[in-house]
Amino acid sequence: MIKVLPRGAVPENRELLLLGACVLAIVLFAVSSPFFATADNAVTILRNSVELLLISLGMSLLLAMGGVDVSIGTVMGLAAFVIGRLLIATVDPVLAAIAGILAGAALGMVTGAVVVFGRIPAIVATLGLLGVYKAAIYLALGGAWLSGLPPTLTAMLQVRLVGVPIAVIVIALSYGAIWLAMRRTPFGLHLLAVGNSEEKARLQGVNTKLIQFSTFVISGTLAGVAAVFYIGTYRNVEMTIGSTLALDAIAAVVLGGTSILGGKCSLLGTVLGVLLLRILQNGLLLIGVPSLWQTVVTGALLIGVLSIEGLSGRLQLKFAGATQ
Amino acid sequence: MIALGKMRGQNLILAILAALWVATIIGLSVLSPAMFNAGTVTNILQFSTILSLVALGQTLVILSGGAGIDLSIGGTVSLSAMLAMLAFKAGMPIVLVPPACILIGLALGAINGLLVTKLRILPLIATLGTLFIYSGTALAVTGGAAMSGVPAWMLAWGRGSISSLPLPFITIALPAFGIAGIVLLWTAWGRWIYAMGFNERSARLVGIPVDRVRLLIYMISGGLGGLGGLISLAWLGSGRPNIGQNLELESLTAAMLGGVAIVGGRGGVGGVLAAVLLLVTLKTGLLRLNVNTVWQVGVVGVLLIAVLIADRLTTHRR
Repeated sequence: MIKVLPRGAVPENRELLLLGACVLAIVLFAVSSPFFATADNAVTILRNSVELLLISLGMSLLLAMGGVDVSIGTVMGLAAFVIGRLLIATVDPVLAAIAGILAGAALGMVTGAVVVFGRIPAIVATLGLLGVYKAAIYLALGGAWLSGLPPTLTAMLQVRLVGVPIAVIVIALSYGAIWLAMRRTPFGLHLLAVGNSEEKARLQGVNTKLIQFSTFVISGTLAGVAAVFYIGTYRNVEMTIGSTLALDAIAAVVLGGTSILGGKCSLLGTVLGVLLLRILQNGLLLIGVPSLWQTVVTGALLIGVLSIEGLSGRLQLKFAGATQ
Repeated sequence: MIALGKMRGQNLILAILAALWVATIIGLSVLSPAMFNAGTVTNILQFSTILSLVALGQTLVILSGGAGIDLSIGGTVSLSAMLAMLAFKAGMPIVLVPPACILIGLALGAINGLLVTKLRILPLIATLGTLFIYSGTALAVTGGAAMSGVPAWMLAWGRGSISSLPLPFITIALPAFGIAGIVLLWTAWGRWIYAMGFNERSARLVGIPVDRVRLLIYMISGGLGGLGGLISLAWLGSGRPNIGQNLELESLTAAMLGGVAIVGGRGGVGGVLAAVLLLVTLKTGLLRLNVNTVWQVGVVGVLLIAVLIADRLTTHRR
C-alpha cells in the first residue's frame, strides 16, 4: 500500500475550474435554446458521454504514461463489429459482450506490442495501426452497414440495479478500479514514473515495458466495454464508426488536466472534461451550429487549453527537461 | 565520420527502395499486363506531385528533431485550396489564387510553428489539434461540397505534360526537392537542421537559433501544403474539401520509408522522393486491380509500421 503521492500527481483547482465551465456552458445554452435545459436532453448528453468516458479513462492512463493512441476509436469499432456479428448469430448477449471486451483487450495487446516491443513512438505506431484497423473494419463490413441488430443486448443493458442504470454502474466500477490502481498500488506510481521519465524509471528498477504494455491493454479493454454500450445504444456498425473518438478523448483528457508530457493524471478531471465537451457539442448543435463544425470546436478547445497552459509557463520547465 | 555513415545509409536506402520499386512493378505487371505504358507513368507522377511536396515538408519537420511531426499537413492542403477558392468567389482576381494558396499555407504552418516553439506544446498534440481544425474548417465552410470554377489557363498547367512528364511535377515538385537537397547539404541552414535534430541541446549551446529555424520549417511545411492545395486545384479543376485526407499518414510513411529517422537528424530528401514514387506506384497498381481505397490506407499503415520495426532492428544490431 502506497500512501505518499508523487509531486504533481493531483493538479490543483483544475476540477473546480472545469465544474465552473460546465455550469457556465449549461446556463448559457439554457438561455440561448429552449430545447437545451430539458430532462430529455440531459439524458441524451449523458448517454452520448458513455463511450467517450470509458475510452477517455484509458486515454488518461496512456497520456500520463507518456503514450497516446489515435487508433482507439477504430479499436472500439472492431470490437463493436465482433459483438454485432455474434448478436446476429443469436449468441447470448452476455457472451457477445464478453467477446467484445476480449476483442478490445486483444487489440490493445496488438497496439501495445507494436509500440512497446517494436520500440516505435506511440503516435506514429498508432497512426499506422489506425490505417490498418480502418481497412480491417472495411474488410469485415464488406462495404455495407451492419444494421438492425437484434435488441437482446439493448434489453440486457436496460436493466437497472436499485434504480441505477447499468452504464453508470459500469463507469463507476471502471473509475473506481483505475482510481485504486493509480492511488493505492505500485502500478499507479510506476505508471507516473514512466510518464515522468522512462529512462529514470527503468534505472530505478521499474519494469517499464510491462507497465507500458499493460496500459495499452487496459485502454483496449475499456474500448471493448465502450463497444458494448455503443451496440446497446445504436444497434448498428457503420464504416466511419469511432472516427472522432480519439480526438474527443485526447481533448477531454487534456481539458481535465492530465499532462500530455506524462507523469500527471487526473481521473476526475477527465470525467468533467468529457462532460464539458459533450455539453458544448450538444449545445452548439441546438443553437444551430452545423455539425460539421464539431471537430473544429474540439480541436480549437484542445489547442486553446494547451495554449493557455503554455502561456502560463506550466509546461515550459518540463519541456526543457524533456528535450535534453 | 557521421557524414560518411549517413551517406552509406542513404545509398543503401535508395538501393533498397529501387529494388522494392522494381519488384512492385514486376508483381503488378504480372497481375495486370496491360497496366504499364506511358499514360501510367504520367498518372503516377501526377498523383505523386502533391504527396511529394507534403512529404518534403514532413521530412524537414522530422529532420529538425524536437519530437517534430506535422500531422496537420493534409488539413493545410485542403484548407488552403478551399479558402483561396472562397476568396476567388468573393471577388478576388483569379491571378491571385496561386499566391493566396501559398500564403494561406504559410500562415497555417506559422500557427503550428508558433504553437510548438512559443507555447511549447508537443508537436504531435499541437498538429493533431490543428489537423482537426484545418480539415474540419475546410469541410464546414462549404458544407462539404466541392467548389468549381478554376480557369482554363490553370487547368492547362495542372493537366499538361511534356513527353509524358506532368508539368506540375517538373515545375514544382522536382525544383522543390532540388532546392531542399542543396540547402540541406551545402548551406549553413541545412547543417543547422541536422544539428538540431541530432542533438538539440548542443545545437542551442553552439548558438544555433533553434526556435527561429524550427518556426521557419513549420512555415515551409505549411507553404508546401499550400502548393499542394494549388496543384490540386489546377489538376482537378475544383476545390475539394477532403483532398488532403490521409496525407498525414502517407507523408509520414514516405518519410520513414525514405530513411528519415523518426527522432530527427538523420536522412535525406532523395530517399523520400523515391519512397513517394514507390508508394504511389503501389497505390496506383492497387487501384488498377480494383482494390478499394480503404485497402490502400491499410497497406500504407502496414508499410509504416514495418519500416519502423525494420529500422529499430537494424540500429539495435549496430
